[in-house]
Amino acid sequence: MEHLKLSTTVISPADVARLRRELNGLNDFFVDAQARHTGTAMQLPKLTRILNQLAKDNSVNLLEEADRNRLSEALGAAYEHAPTLHISFASEPSPKAMEKLIVWVRGNIHPQALVQVGLQPTVAVGCFLRTPNMAFDLSLRASLKKSQPQLVKLIDGAINGR
Amino acid sequence: MNSGGLVLIVGSLLAAAAAFIWMAVKLENGGGKGKAKGTQQDQLADAAKEDVEHIFNTEFREELRNRGRLHFEKILGENAMFLQQDLRQTTTQLNDYMRAEITRTLQEEFKKYEQSIVDAKQIALDSIEKTVATIEQQRQFLEQQMKSETDAQKDRLIQRFENEMATIVNHYVLQAIGSQIDVADQMDFILAEMQANKQAIVEDIKRGTS
Repeated sequence: MEHLKLSTTVISPADVARLRRELNGLNDFFVDAQARHTGTAMQLPKLTRILNQLAKDNSVNLLEEADRNRLSEALGAAYEHAPTLHISFASEPSPKAMEKLIVWVRGNIHPQALVQVGLQPTVAVGCFLRTPNMAFDLSLRASLKKSQPQLVKLIDGAINGR
Repeated sequence: MNSGGLVLIVGSLLAAAAAFIWMAVKLENGGGKGKAKGTQQDQLADAAKEDVEHIFNTEFREELRNRGRLHFEKILGENAMFLQQDLRQTTTQLNDYMRAEITRTLQEEFKKYEQSIVDAKQIALDSIEKTVATIEQQRQFLEQQMKSETDAQKDRLIQRFENEMATIVNHYVLQAIGSQIDVADQMDFILAEMQANKQAIVEDIKRGTS
């Protein structure tokens, strides 16, 4: 698989790992199905919506072992090598907000980028982004700090009535 | 001086001596007549004495004594009056003198006292002026010190406020809207910030994955 298409529901490395576990479970199910005795009742595994969406996005037939293996390998590669951004928010972001964020990240940074969300109440407004080698303070405080001369000018104007 | 003159002088001296001797002898011879005259004179003196006693008898003497007493009293009265006048005048003069002296002394003392008061007042004024000048100097020094301290404190506050301005504004923004703002509401801001740092993020990811 050349380029694994990750849906917006796959956000973090934990999601990828969970998909791999699910795929492994599916493989195990098919192995068990082949080794089962005739007439033995089988409990079909329930696939998650994320895995279904992933298979659909990547045109993978989960009933085919080769497809599953390719998908599993791609997920493994993504888990190992996909760029991961650590983003800390003041509070837990909603799925809708995460979807918006992951769309932007994959559209602008990297198509297989993963986002690991953390909590940092001191951020207050905005977020704190950490890449493999750098950290970006994208909070309101940092933004205000950047525009400090403008703030000083505004406060001076407010004090002096200009 | 010639011999004629000398003879004339010697002759004059001799004539004088002879006249003196003659007078002495003449007087010596006239002493017996004096005794008789002395007795007569004594008689006359006794008679006169007796007449005097007849004239200056006791009544006349008493009269004279009274007159003398009166005269003496009069003189005494006059003198007493004069003395009284003199005494009064002296007393008046003495009073005037004393008054003048006392007045002069008092005026001198008053002048000295007044001068002392003026001096003391001047000293007090000088002292007060010095104190006022010192206080004024101290006040100016304190004012300057307080002004510099205030300015320094103001500068420190402004510097600290400017340094912590972002945190302060952030704090007030959070106080105002912190509980109402959601991450989804902040997403536009977050994406804008990420867009602003996109280049750096991409480059760092490329470095990290290569």
